[in-house]
Amino acid sequence: MARLCRAAIIASVLALTQICSDANAQECEAKVGVVGPMSGGAALWGLSARNGVEIAAAEFNQAGGLPMGEKRCKVVVVSYDSKYSAEGAAAAANNLASQGVNVIVGPVGSPEATGIKPVAERNKQVTINSSFAKDAIGPQWPLAFHAVAGPSAWAKPVVKMAKEKFDIKSIVVVAPNDQGGTDTATVAVDTYRGMGIDAKEEYYQRGTTNFAPIVARIMRSDPTAIDVCTAPPGDAATLVKQLLEAGFKGTFGRLGGVATDEIVRAAGGIETLGNFYWLESVNVEPAHLEAIVAVQKSLTQTPANPAVVAIFAASGRLALKAISSAGTSSDGVKVAQELRNLSIVDPWLGKGDWTGMPSFGIRQEFGFPVGMGLIVKGKNLGVSPVSVVGQ
Amino acid sequence: METAISAGIIGIGLGAQYALLSLGFTLIYGILGVINFSHGGFYMLGGYVAFAVVSKLGLPYPVAVIAATLVCAGLGALFELLVLERHIDDHLATMMLTMGLYLVMGTVLVLAFGTEPVEFHSPVSGSWRSGRIYVPYANLVVLCACLAAIAGVYALLYKSNLGRALRALADDRPVATALGLPPKILFPAAFGVATGLAGFTGALVTPILSLHPHIGDSILTISFMIVILGGLGSVVGAAVAAFVVGLVEAYSSIYLGGSIGALTLFLLVLITLVVRPTGLFGRQVRAA
Amino acid sequence: MHRKVSSMARVFEFVGRGEVATIVVLALAFAVPFATSSPLVFSLSNQILIATIAAFSVYIMLRMDLLSFALPAFMALGGYAIAVAAKAGITNLVALLLISFAVPALVALPLGSLVLRLRGTYFVLVTFAFNEVLQLLLFEMPAITGGSNGIAGVPASTFLGMALSSNQAVLVVTCVIGVLAAIITAGVTAFYRREFAAISENETLATSLGLVTRRYKTIGLVVSAGVAGLAGFALVNMLLTAHPSSFSTLSGFSYIVFAIVGGRASMMGPLLGAAVLTTATLLFSSKGEYSPALYGMLVIAVVMLARNGIAGIRLPSLGRPYVEPGADAQSFKREGKAI
Repeated sequence: MARLCRAAIIASVLALTQICSDANAQECEAKVGVVGPMSGGAALWGLSARNGVEIAAAEFNQAGGLPMGEKRCKVVVVSYDSKYSAEGAAAAANNLASQGVNVIVGPVGSPEATGIKPVAERNKQVTINSSFAKDAIGPQWPLAFHAVAGPSAWAKPVVKMAKEKFDIKSIVVVAPNDQGGTDTATVAVDTYRGMGIDAKEEYYQRGTTNFAPIVARIMRSDPTAIDVCTAPPGDAATLVKQLLEAGFKGTFGRLGGVATDEIVRAAGGIETLGNFYWLESVNVEPAHLEAIVAVQKSLTQTPANPAVVAIFAASGRLALKAISSAGTSSDGVKVAQELRNLSIVDPWLGKGDWTGMPSFGIRQEFGFPVGMGLIVKGKNLGVSPVSVVGQ
Repeated sequence: METAISAGIIGIGLGAQYALLSLGFTLIYGILGVINFSHGGFYMLGGYVAFAVVSKLGLPYPVAVIAATLVCAGLGALFELLVLERHIDDHLATMMLTMGLYLVMGTVLVLAFGTEPVEFHSPVSGSWRSGRIYVPYANLVVLCACLAAIAGVYALLYKSNLGRALRALADDRPVATALGLPPKILFPAAFGVATGLAGFTGALVTPILSLHPHIGDSILTISFMIVILGGLGSVVGAAVAAFVVGLVEAYSSIYLGGSIGALTLFLLVLITLVVRPTGLFGRQVRAA
Repeated sequence: MHRKVSSMARVFEFVGRGEVATIVVLALAFAVPFATSSPLVFSLSNQILIATIAAFSVYIMLRMDLLSFALPAFMALGGYAIAVAAKAGITNLVALLLISFAVPALVALPLGSLVLRLRGTYFVLVTFAFNEVLQLLLFEMPAITGGSNGIAGVPASTFLGMALSSNQAVLVVTCVIGVLAAIITAGVTAFYRREFAAISENETLATSLGLVTRRYKTIGLVVSAGVAGLAGFALVNMLLTAHPSSFSTLSGFSYIVFAIVGGRASMMGPLLGAAVLTTATLLFSSKGEYSPALYGMLVIAVVMLARNGIAGIRLPSLGRPYVEPGADAQSFKREGKAI
């Protein structure tokens, strides 16, 4: 009798597991990759990028899964640290390819974008990078997309606003001597000059911690404004602090990744800072910003940059929509085709359009509106949206 | 003319910071023969400990500086005793070990304080001004601390029993040990003094500049360069070389630009070493 | 009594067991591109091979107890040289191999005459300064080097008219470079084994006994630079881009770690060090912010536990196959008087 009972129990357990695994067998996976710097100086951006894509994935998963043909599949995010270098990104792409992940949101930095594009092209992987490189995308890489508007798209409208607001006559653009610095600084300087402003570039050695000599050099040319371009937040903050120490009374600009908090803190407050204009790579309404911070915190304890989170959430949503339409996450060419048919609209980033033709020769840039922040005479006027479409 | 004076002032300020940094490095190299790749790590740790003491514990800044120095000294001595001591004769091994320590320290700081700069201001603010020329008071404090530290280290090494013991051990370990000097106590002590100095520098200098987990990366380059330029085995040499490097960096950056300025500095280092292979003050000793 | 010594044994005696084993392993690597088509395996193999070649370059100098930080500079010279050549139309594999070896070797000649009289740590610093100077020159001469953007879209190398651009072909090319570098390294370290050892042991004594140390140090530096150039070629070939971030001081330092942690007694050391640590880096990459600490702890663990590096780890049945008989932990002689 005992043996019969035991047999019955075992049989029912086996039957149950069979049923459960059948149910699991119906659950499929849609894999999407994230590549970015998750260690080193740019770690905040890579980690924020990862958070953003995970938020997009969670949105679909909480709604029951990503619709792929008849089924609803679980979205799985696979991330790799590309260490802000070309080989790191190339290795990450190959890693992901061998796991069948052929849709990559990222990478973040310019060297990474340079390294990943040839490899991704060989592996037929879609990449959506957010770098400000001059060749971020191009006709020779048909599967490469640009997650945000680059300097060639936003420079003119933003510089025009700055010039009108602050009556800038001469400016010095300061940037580190690497690709992240030169790609943006050269575009910025050209744009300033195009508007009749006397503009100069100053590059500093990456790794500089004390900017007193650079400050002295800048003060020699007596500019009315200084743009700290894409200098990392720590460097930008020190530059501003030491410029104020040296007696600079003009306008500060930051046309690069957001570093407003650090710069205001280093200056010792908004009043001391005086006049300041900055670029927000995307324009997110304050209400959405709070939502982003809350959602991101619920997923992970790692601090993140809300703007980067938003950018990558948007790219993640678009990528997943394309995967859904294509019915596959492993056929990069098909996903790219579907991606091109989507409209550039996002709950957090607003409505934009496909851009990129004049800057890169290929219309594969997500032209979401950017934001321009203003602090005038010590008063924060907030961020206003700036459209990059129709340049 | 004003620019030339400003450049000089900036150069001296830089030199003071570099001298403080190199003192610790030259101590460890001169006595223990260890190239300490974690030097930048202790600099950062000193800054963060001071920051934590001021902002989280609410204690006054001088207390924070002392705390930073002691924490770094203690950690350094412990690391030497537990990890480095066994491999103290193998210089490549000690290089690898200190590099490993630097990587671990960097990650711990990132996990504890985040990757972005923290808000850490110097309690001393304001500058002395005359026309376009200015000297921030905080920089003067650093300069005084630097001179005091140089005097202190010199006194320690050449006028104290501890210093004599350390120099003896460095000269000829077997004989010194046979005469009763305990390397197992003295070497960790020396390492601790050096890392304590690095922490002291971090606590003093980071409020003037900025504090984030990547400021340590370039510290090693500059310390290494100055110690070699000054000549191995010379505290005075390292101090002089620090001011020379500071002045060269200031003048070349101001007149030639940041990138070309760095190029000039490295070229000058190359040329100096080619012309004077043992550095400015070093002595060539032949190993028999 | 006439003892027959087989020619195989003679080869072993001349070149060293470790060296032969290393060349065999690298030759076996040719099987990888044909045995599998996984991009991950290709990528990892490429990275390990490139790291090994770079570590060989460090190893040659370490045989003379000289630590050279100029490795990334020589890699950059080799890599940029072939990028410029390929873009100008020279894509023949053999030609590119020659160019990538010759350019850094030629630069190393005059450099050697200037810096090789420096001892120990002074030499280390000078090579470090040379590396920084070259990085800055790359930035300041955008017309030739593409500045901070580097040279993108480098055409693939060709052999007998075939363009070697597929993933598989790239790995085959890297294997070729790897075996070539190994043969060169084994050759130079075997041929000059005694001279290098003498310089490493006690240079002053060697000079006083009549050894023209300058000549051998220069040979070592020139060959080391050439091998580094080959590594640069392999790297640019893999990425199809010559980018300054590939030749940073930090990456150069990684290769030095591979050579030291792997073991200094034979060529097996750099190979094992490169293989183990590159794989570890890859595994740690998915751990994001923890990866530097994990890597640091691994390095500390290996140095603490394996006195002669990874290659010197005592294997239960084989004993310690890759440590020279009588060799102890080799130490880097300290130069100059202490305080």
